[in-house]
Amino acid sequence: MTVGAGRSRPGIGDYLLWSVIALFIIVPLGCFLAYGFFSVVDNAIVYRPTVGNFAELLSNPSYRATFLRTIRMAFEVSAINLVLGYATAYFIWLRPPGMRNFLVIALAIPLLMSYIIKIYAMRGVLGTNGLLNSALMALGIVDEPVSALLFNLTAVRITLSVVLLPFMVLPIYIALERIPASVLHAASDLGANELQTFTGIILPLSLPGGIVGAMFTFVLASGDFLAPELVGGIEGFTYGRLIFSQFGLAFNWPLGAALSILLMCVALGVIFVARRLGNPRWQR
Amino acid sequence: MRRLRLLDISLASVTTLVYLALYLPILLVFVLSFFSMRRGRVNWETFSLGWYAKLFDNEALGDALRNSLLVGGTAVAAAAVFATVAALHVNARPSSRSARILEYVIFLPFLLPPIITGLSLLIYFRETGIPRGIATIIVGHAVFVLAIIYRIVLTRLNVLSRSLVEAAHDLGASKFQTFRYIVLPNLRMPLLTAGILAFALSFDETMITLFLTGTDATLPVRLYAMMRVGFTPEINALITLILGFSIVLTVAVAFAWRRNAGLENNSATRI
Amino acid sequence: MAKPDTGGPDSESGLPLLRIRGLGVSFGPVDAISPLDLDVHDGEFLTILGPSGSGKTTLLRAIAGFQPPSAGRIEFDGRDIADLPINRRPFNTVFQDYALFPHMTVRENVGFGLRVRGTARRQMTERVDIALGIVGLEELDSRYPAQLSGGQQQRTALARAMICEPRLILLDEPLAALDATLRRQMQNFLKSVQRQSGITFLFVTHDQSEAITMSDRICVMRTGNIEQIGTPRELYYRPKSRFVAAFFGASNIVEPCRIEESRDDMTVVSTPVGTFSVKGPPPENTSGLALAIRPEAFGSDAETRMNSLEFEVAAVSFVGSETITELRHRNTSLMFTMKSRSDPAARPPETGSFLRVGFDPAECALVTGAES
Repeated sequence: MTVGAGRSRPGIGDYLLWSVIALFIIVPLGCFLAYGFFSVVDNAIVYRPTVGNFAELLSNPSYRATFLRTIRMAFEVSAINLVLGYATAYFIWLRPPGMRNFLVIALAIPLLMSYIIKIYAMRGVLGTNGLLNSALMALGIVDEPVSALLFNLTAVRITLSVVLLPFMVLPIYIALERIPASVLHAASDLGANELQTFTGIILPLSLPGGIVGAMFTFVLASGDFLAPELVGGIEGFTYGRLIFSQFGLAFNWPLGAALSILLMCVALGVIFVARRLGNPRWQR
Repeated sequence: MRRLRLLDISLASVTTLVYLALYLPILLVFVLSFFSMRRGRVNWETFSLGWYAKLFDNEALGDALRNSLLVGGTAVAAAAVFATVAALHVNARPSSRSARILEYVIFLPFLLPPIITGLSLLIYFRETGIPRGIATIIVGHAVFVLAIIYRIVLTRLNVLSRSLVEAAHDLGASKFQTFRYIVLPNLRMPLLTAGILAFALSFDETMITLFLTGTDATLPVRLYAMMRVGFTPEINALITLILGFSIVLTVAVAFAWRRNAGLENNSATRI
Repeated sequence: MAKPDTGGPDSESGLPLLRIRGLGVSFGPVDAISPLDLDVHDGEFLTILGPSGSGKTTLLRAIAGFQPPSAGRIEFDGRDIADLPINRRPFNTVFQDYALFPHMTVRENVGFGLRVRGTARRQMTERVDIALGIVGLEELDSRYPAQLSGGQQQRTALARAMICEPRLILLDEPLAALDATLRRQMQNFLKSVQRQSGITFLFVTHDQSEAITMSDRICVMRTGNIEQIGTPRELYYRPKSRFVAAFFGASNIVEPCRIEESRDDMTVVSTPVGTFSVKGPPPENTSGLALAIRPEAFGSDAETRMNSLEFEVAAVSFVGSETITELRHRNTSLMFTMKSRSDPAARPPETGSFLRVGFDPAECALVTGAES
């Protein structure tokens, strides 16, 4: 399995490798972490360590509320997508091979479409004159267009849910496809009915894929600022937008960095938990 | 039996809903690249290729597209070389501590929210006095796509039988010859796939780029700017064209993969 | 015996092609190979035989250079090669999984060794053609490995290892993946290629019948040590240890044994079931001494044999061409096999009856060592 031959003695290549890694990943992250402890006076950065940013972030109720709202929103999007994604992946998995491949490719194609345009197009779907309202009215579910679908947190939820769905379905599908047919045959051979096979074999073997998908969804949804900005309106103000604004008009990079450090901690926590759950003991 | 039917129907409905949700925005863009809208309804009598014609006069979009291609090509090439070196390094010492740390570090920019990768590079370039521009965007994209190329290359290296490399050495090949004649040809397919995937990621990357962009915008950044001030329908034409091209590419890659996988399966069963 | 016992026939040139002295390999605290000596002579077919975990593959890998030894010298043609990198060693390997390059055709695979040496294209084509001719793959030269059968892959791997005309080829259980029929064909094929080319083969296997049919000499390994080296006949008829005896099917062990006297290349031993004569001098080290008798050595014509014993028949089983009789006397039980006969007069003995059987001094051996 080892392609490089011979003993491993650090050579020039290794030093080069590590210096590039340090130069473009480690040092920038270090700068970012350090910035969280600086401050701004008269549009100039003061390089004196302080925990002022973190104190403000904890004491300012609007920051706190935005943070909690965003985390909850990201969690809801992950949960909804886990259910939708699992059902979809499972359905695809049950199809005959040709259909399966077609559906998987069809799932990947929306990923190729510009993220910005997709979000923008969601305006056309969710707006008062949008496709969704037209469909609801045509079906007679509502009499007049629902305006509550755009420029609020619900719009952000729906939009993120739609654009992040492939990230959920694909890992679950891959996990399902890795289950050997012989295992399923063995289960029914031993007398398990379909429900027992599902809950006892299929679900535990494919759930790690769902956890990976949920991790991706959560991390991407919690840090996104484009969808909230384009479909969220004022109501749909999220933590990502709060961070981004610190680097725009507000020009408070240290505060922006401090806010991001909190986001990073949450993301790392989620990644850590997902690694634990998504890598069960029988796989290690 | 009855319950199963019901389950099947609900699974099918959810799947339909999911695909509908995924394709509605795309469909909308596609339709609007040929027709115009009036009062929220598509006017089906207004078919024209006008927006496509207009597209070629829009210099700002053309520049942005060129920038995107430049950034994507350069970033992917740099990341591919570097990811291969890193994967060879890790593959040669799979359980060493340095390899494990390297792996974590490479994955950080990919796994963390893009906003963090973007702003840490922004702060870094500010502190080192490097002006924002195409070069800084390239660095951002290369760092971002590094993990995906690395992963795919490493996976291939790990299944490459060790005896192949030993056999090459045994037959007198030097380290370089072994890499050139044995390892690299086996990495061609994964590198191609990873490269295309990475290019697609780079081509659409917006959040990191917004932090690193100077006066030269990439396509998503230009679209973002246009979107905020209002937006001309020729963008629909552009997106349709790009999407069409991407679909052809995806299908081609999918077929190439399947043929490749078929060949390998075949050899596995024969041995 | 002053010189190390490497068991080889006295070579005419005096110098073996491959001379191994004190070679040891350890993985951390574990000795995979305890320091050992081995000579491989020019032009011979030497098989390293042992069960899995005996260190035979490790020994081969150390010689090939894939596994750095922790001690010892490896000399090829009088030159120490222990520090020579793999790609500079003057011999080639046939791998257990063949290790054919999947992205290269048969011709490219076979020509690889020449290609990396920068051989001119014309010369390369000629030499590859010759090698393909030897292994009978001229027609398949543009196929990819995945399009070949197991036997064809095997031939490709052999041609590839031969292309640089090495004086020694190492073969790491190359037949393990083939089915029984193909295996027998390939054994004959390998042997004939070896004889015609005159290349020295160092062959690793765990299959004793394969070792016997193919080899000029066999080196039996056990837990990282060389147990015995000799010709197939020597190992088969004159095993020195219980392990070798059992490995080659001399499954009847009579113990304990005490040496009564020895003279004129004959040793007399006393055992719980009688006193017997054994051909050959007694072993130097007599710890765990036992008498090993092959099951087919016994004959019911006890009067004509030098050794004889009377046992009770415990069981008789007919297994086709042979009939196996199990004999018991006190704590000792013996198996004896003879050709099955359809003639009703040549009925096998009845269970419970007493049977007198005999065997020749040359058909048994004194073995030592712990029980295997």
